[in-house]
Amino acid sequence: MANEQIFVGLEIGTTKISVIVAEARAEDQISILGVGETPSRGVRKGEIVDMETVTECVREAILDAEDKTNVEIGNVWVAITGSHLASFNNRGSLTLRGERQIEPEDLEAVEVNAKEVAIPTPNTFLHTILQAYHVDGNQNIIDPLKSEGALLEADFHIVHGIKTRIHNTLRCIESLKIGIEDVVLSSLASAQVILSQDQKNYGALMIDIGGGTTDYLVYIDGAIRHSGVLALGGDHITNDISVGLRLPIARAELLKIEEGSASDPVSSEGGIISLKNDPRFLGCDVDRISLETIIHLRVKEIFELIRRDIESSGEGMMDLIRGVMITGGCSKLKGIAQVAEEVFDIPVELTRARNVSGATQIFEDPQYSTAIGLTKYARLVTKNIAPESMLDRFTQGLGSLFKKRSR
Amino acid sequence: MSTSPSRRILVGIGNAGVTVLDLLSVECPGMTGLLAVNNDPDSLNASIVRDKIEVPEGDPGEGFRVIDDEFGRNVEGASAVILCGGLGGETGSFLLPALAIRAKSAGLTTMACVGMPFSFEGKHKRDLAERALEKLQEICDAVVVIGNDQLSGGSPSIAAVGEAFVLSDRTLLAALLALTGMLSTSGPVKITRADIHHVLGKPGALTHFGFGKAEGSNRLHEALERALKSPLLTPPGKGSALKESSMILLLLRGAKDISFAEVQAVVGKIEQIAGDSCQIKVGVHADGPLGSALELYLLASSGGTVRKPAKTSESNETGEPSSADSANSPSSRIGTIGTQLPQPPQPTGEEEMLSGHIEGAKGADELFPVQTKPASKSGKKVAATSKQMQGTLALDTYQRGRFDKSEPTIVEGEDLDVPTFLRKGIKLNPPTRK
Repeated sequence: MANEQIFVGLEIGTTKISVIVAEARAEDQISILGVGETPSRGVRKGEIVDMETVTECVREAILDAEDKTNVEIGNVWVAITGSHLASFNNRGSLTLRGERQIEPEDLEAVEVNAKEVAIPTPNTFLHTILQAYHVDGNQNIIDPLKSEGALLEADFHIVHGIKTRIHNTLRCIESLKIGIEDVVLSSLASAQVILSQDQKNYGALMIDIGGGTTDYLVYIDGAIRHSGVLALGGDHITNDISVGLRLPIARAELLKIEEGSASDPVSSEGGIISLKNDPRFLGCDVDRISLETIIHLRVKEIFELIRRDIESSGEGMMDLIRGVMITGGCSKLKGIAQVAEEVFDIPVELTRARNVSGATQIFEDPQYSTAIGLTKYARLVTKNIAPESMLDRFTQGLGSLFKKRSR
Repeated sequence: MSTSPSRRILVGIGNAGVTVLDLLSVECPGMTGLLAVNNDPDSLNASIVRDKIEVPEGDPGEGFRVIDDEFGRNVEGASAVILCGGLGGETGSFLLPALAIRAKSAGLTTMACVGMPFSFEGKHKRDLAERALEKLQEICDAVVVIGNDQLSGGSPSIAAVGEAFVLSDRTLLAALLALTGMLSTSGPVKITRADIHHVLGKPGALTHFGFGKAEGSNRLHEALERALKSPLLTPPGKGSALKESSMILLLLRGAKDISFAEVQAVVGKIEQIAGDSCQIKVGVHADGPLGSALELYLLASSGGTVRKPAKTSESNETGEPSSADSANSPSSRIGTIGTQLPQPPQPTGEEEMLSGHIEGAKGADELFPVQTKPASKSGKKVAATSKQMQGTLALDTYQRGRFDKSEPTIVEGEDLDVPTFLRKGIKLNPPTRK
């Protein structure tokens, strides 16, 4: 670790690549020093499809960040997303010989036991996140160390994905001679700066709608209960507009940003939107209700898919969620909160990174939630681990750092 | 295989036919309704097919009379008979049409799946094959013709002879599976016998056939790609033959989870290639266990009754690998000979090949009047159907826009790259251009 106090988060998104450089502050806080950014090329639906182009874009973004912050970037924390990622909950159990005190090795053993499930052969574990410990049937013990028992059980939320696709991201960064601290599920990173500890305890759903993917995460009783990735995002809305209104992609994107609204077209003001001609496009008049219908149907569908996925992953889980927090570049779309409220029937809030300090215009923009979240995650994870043991653990593979209860 | 034994009988005739049935028994163990017919006792004894009819050696005409009754008993109660074999040999060339007549006269739907000989097998075989094919196409409700020359991509000199025959047998097997699959009524989406007859029942038509098999998340695209690569669908150096077809039969067979979106995507892709005026008939057999490979079969035909006389033939058909189809007029026949001359000698020798082509051309001349008669008639018919179809097809042409070439996002069986409003069938006001 070249500099313990500086954390760099790198998100290779479908729309843009962002690098956030942050400094550790007291009490788990971070302060953002600056952001490097380039428009992304060669990424589709959150996954790399053109290695060379992406590598070049990442290089530009890193240089940009170094320029702006005067920090030499050696190691980064990387966010990962894509529809290949899947998750499930599993319980590990360990019988202790005779009644004795629980040691740190037991905690590791019970995690290994929880991971002894069949995942598809091309897949690898990304995260094994602790939900709760149980000792001799005594539920939800926060720290079982040193307590006595005969049976130690632990619930984990396990995230896995296709090895080669995760490696693609890693290879792309390594080819720039930049070290990788760890790979983090995008939604897990975002949640660190989007959800407060109270929200995690009460039950919250975080949805990060980006350009190519929608990442979501459910916290109940302070632990992650569900996570998912939908390969749908702002790009799909733009594509729908382009197909439906027969506009070039670039013009459809502009129309979405300037005039787009996800609200139910029933309450639309109606009328005509006049698109001016430019060198590449002959102008035309677009029906506002048509535009809003296209966007509304897509956005509503995305939320409905998330709702159905949560409902099918655990009975009654939806009832334990008290609020929805929406972030990501696409959350800037007008009327999106109302649609979410309609679908989930609980309070919805549009949000951005919180509990961070530094350059305001950066953390006030919801499109940086994941990258900022990475630095916060890094702060939380490294806090409890001495640097030397971190090196040891680093050799164990992806996601192995995150052994502590996630916050 | 879920077809009940009584419904259809597959008959393998001659060495090639019996080999194909053996391959089939290995590929689909437990498949019933197979019947091997051959005059070669060694081949029959080695075969793993249960029901066999041995034809006495010697004159095939005499042999047929001996087995006539036995064959009749075997196909009794069936609703369809599919004959399979290679044309060109003495046994196949005689027995295939003879058994076809026998089955047809018993009132059964009769189809054939035949291989045409390689050009290096000589002119005698080709003549026999062509005459037999002509008869078969007259009798049968549908005939799938696998041209071995086209199959080897027009360059048989590169492939080892043994490999070429293996490829030929494998393709016949696939074609047989395609036909049986299309005939079988177990799937949720069916192809009717009338459709099969429409596509494969035209005398003198060229059959275009392709198949692909793939598994995994991208199975559909891979299977389709493999199918389209078939030299019988896309002859090397030419565009896809599907463009010339008025109707295409598409059969998808695989796991229970074949989704609506996948079928939609494959139909969209074929439409793109074949053009809007082409009708696509889809059959789906989604009865395999989860995780089993997806098989995709495409059958179409061109030429035959649709072909226009002499005038267009020169530009369109001079390069056609099958000699039966080249040379419709004396001038183009000379052209064919001229272009063939400078090529390196084939196994049969330059002279024989040359004469083969002349003879082949003669054969074509004999066939020609048969083909031209219905040409103008059904040509009009095809144009009419294509006009009718355009209106309905527009609904099916889903647009994926910029996601056209990316891996589809399929959730709950729907292709979510297709705009939501399109999938829900919601009408929009089109923009007004200035």
